[in-house]
Amino acid sequence: MKDAYLKEKRILLVDDEQELLNMVVSILKAEGFRNVATAKTMEEALASALAFQPELAVLDVMLPDGDGFSLMKPLKEKGEYPILFLTARGEDDDKFRGFGLGADDYVIKPFLPKELIFRILAILRRSYREENPRVKLHDSEIDFDRAEVLKGGEHIPLTAKEHDILACLYRNAGRIVTIDALCEAAWGENPFGYENSLMAHIRRIREKIEGDPSRPVSLITVKGLGYKLIAD
Amino acid sequence: MKSMPKLIRRFVGILLLSFLLLLVLNFTLLIVFTLRQTPNARPWKMAEDVARALTQTEDGAYVLPDDILLELENSNAWGILIADSTMQVVWQTDNLPETVPTSYTLSAIAALTRGYIDGYPTFTGERENGLVVLGYPKDSFWKHIWPSWDYYTIANLPKTILCVLVINMTLIFLIYVIANSKLLKSVRPIVEGIRNLPTGETVHLQETGVLSEIAANINRTFDILKAQQYQLRKKETARANWIAGVSHDIRTPLSMVMGYAGQLKEDTGLPGEARQKAAVIVKQSERMKNLINDLNLASKLEYNMQPIHPARENMITIVRQVVVDFMNLDIDEKHPIIWETDEALTACPVNVDKELIKRALSNLIQNSIRHNERGYRIYVSVASESKTCKVEIYDDGIGASDEQLEKLNHAPHYMVCDENTTHQRHGLGLLIVKQIIAAHGGETAIGHSPYGGFSVTLILPTAD
Repeated sequence: MKDAYLKEKRILLVDDEQELLNMVVSILKAEGFRNVATAKTMEEALASALAFQPELAVLDVMLPDGDGFSLMKPLKEKGEYPILFLTARGEDDDKFRGFGLGADDYVIKPFLPKELIFRILAILRRSYREENPRVKLHDSEIDFDRAEVLKGGEHIPLTAKEHDILACLYRNAGRIVTIDALCEAAWGENPFGYENSLMAHIRRIREKIEGDPSRPVSLITVKGLGYKLIAD
Repeated sequence: MKSMPKLIRRFVGILLLSFLLLLVLNFTLLIVFTLRQTPNARPWKMAEDVARALTQTEDGAYVLPDDILLELENSNAWGILIADSTMQVVWQTDNLPETVPTSYTLSAIAALTRGYIDGYPTFTGERENGLVVLGYPKDSFWKHIWPSWDYYTIANLPKTILCVLVINMTLIFLIYVIANSKLLKSVRPIVEGIRNLPTGETVHLQETGVLSEIAANINRTFDILKAQQYQLRKKETARANWIAGVSHDIRTPLSMVMGYAGQLKEDTGLPGEARQKAAVIVKQSERMKNLINDLNLASKLEYNMQPIHPARENMITIVRQVVVDFMNLDIDEKHPIIWETDEALTACPVNVDKELIKRALSNLIQNSIRHNERGYRIYVSVASESKTCKVEIYDDGIGASDEQLEKLNHAPHYMVCDENTTHQRHGLGLLIVKQIIAAHGGETAIGHSPYGGFSVTLILPTAD
């Protein structure tokens, strides 16, 4: 299981509804998360944050003794870890307010278990990297720390742009990433007009990671839309 | 205040026109009256005629021809002839009043030439050896006793008349301007007030001066407008808040329904039939979720309570992201999406609220998925056409009849319809798409797809 180390992370759930807490706990347990603590109020959450030392907090926006936004600040003061909001308010302002204060993501109620799990895993993967993460592909392995590809016993170095593009694809492994998102990952905001450069980089990455670059199996093109990385 | 100078120009114009008309009128009247009155010079001429026509017969008596005599009688005038040598009356008409003297002195002659004899206006005509005097009925003529004027007065008469006219006109003009500027001064705030009424700016006029009543009425009108606006806004806000509240309160219980049903659906320890049932619950709760999201957004858009944050975006990036999000969710490719955008087109800049446009596009793809069985394809294309960005989403599914399309394109949705709502119309999804696109100054057209299914075209103005 490539995300096994993520399932060890300590997750603190804060919601005023016991039933909802029970459900989220059961979803997390079913997925293999073992260290989950819950709190129903801001006070409990702060106490628990000290004792439990969470590595991710999932907060409801509406709490009996305050709101999730005002809880975020003291939580962040006690330790640097990501925060995901669960909100029943889908409105724009809440969303922006959350992000402005440093929230990492939000999930609007109601949600499907796999949606919540996907978001939690994505945040954890972003925040906690595996020790020497080697990504196994069909014909090669990527070592992101050293920025190199191992293919047939050979060490092939990756350029900075190639590294950024591959890292973005790996964060969304198994899912299509749009051309625009890849350009943004490599060239930053307002990445207009880099489509051709991106194609050139993809071609070079394929030469490094694929067994047969003309018939790619790890870095798939989705015509006109984007690319998908298939990791083992 | 564009209308004020216009008003002043109009006033002055009317004033000048009045002057001109007055002059024309007065001259006309003068001419008419002069024509109608007995000419001044007639009695003098008559006297001369008589003097010429009087003939002396052999016996020394004087005779006047009958026609002139008749003329004198018609004017009720009498006549005498005073002889130069004797200063005695030597001829007279039959109707001579008794009070008229028969002998004269030089001073009497001078007096009657200028004035009257016993109240009868008299006129003289010279003859070789005497003076003919005609007397007209009393009060038929008025005579100027001192018939002389200062020479310069007469010489400067045209100038004097012009001067007087100019002074008169200037005075009237001044009076007019002062009176009007006072009026304009009181009209100005009223015009300003009326101009501000539709803008919603606060209107409060001073209720003084000539037009105080109008000012007061404008103030009342503004108060009424404001009160009505406030009431309407309050109602709309209450309705939108109510919908927002209900949808908020439904979200948490629905989370639990969806969460547990989702878990049961994935639970391999359960019999297939039970998992199938759980899948139906998941699907239906997702419909409910979409419904409350749609209801909330539709009501906010309808009552202008949804903030719109437009920014310069590449439409292709937005559409691509939405399509990819759907593809990433639909792992087993139940509804393949085909990207039909020309690869040469890499950017289509638009000024839009990204989240709202994403919502509109998601609704359209969602619609195609919901209305078609698995296996049907959904096509998405973006094109740039003469200052517009055209996004088309169409499928090869069951489509809609012309009649249905007509309804979708033109019939108002029950949410925004103030008439009967007994017929349930189409879902909220399309209404939201229309609302969002309209809020961005664009157009939504619903039609047939080239592959036989349903097609929706969104046309948005490009950012320059």
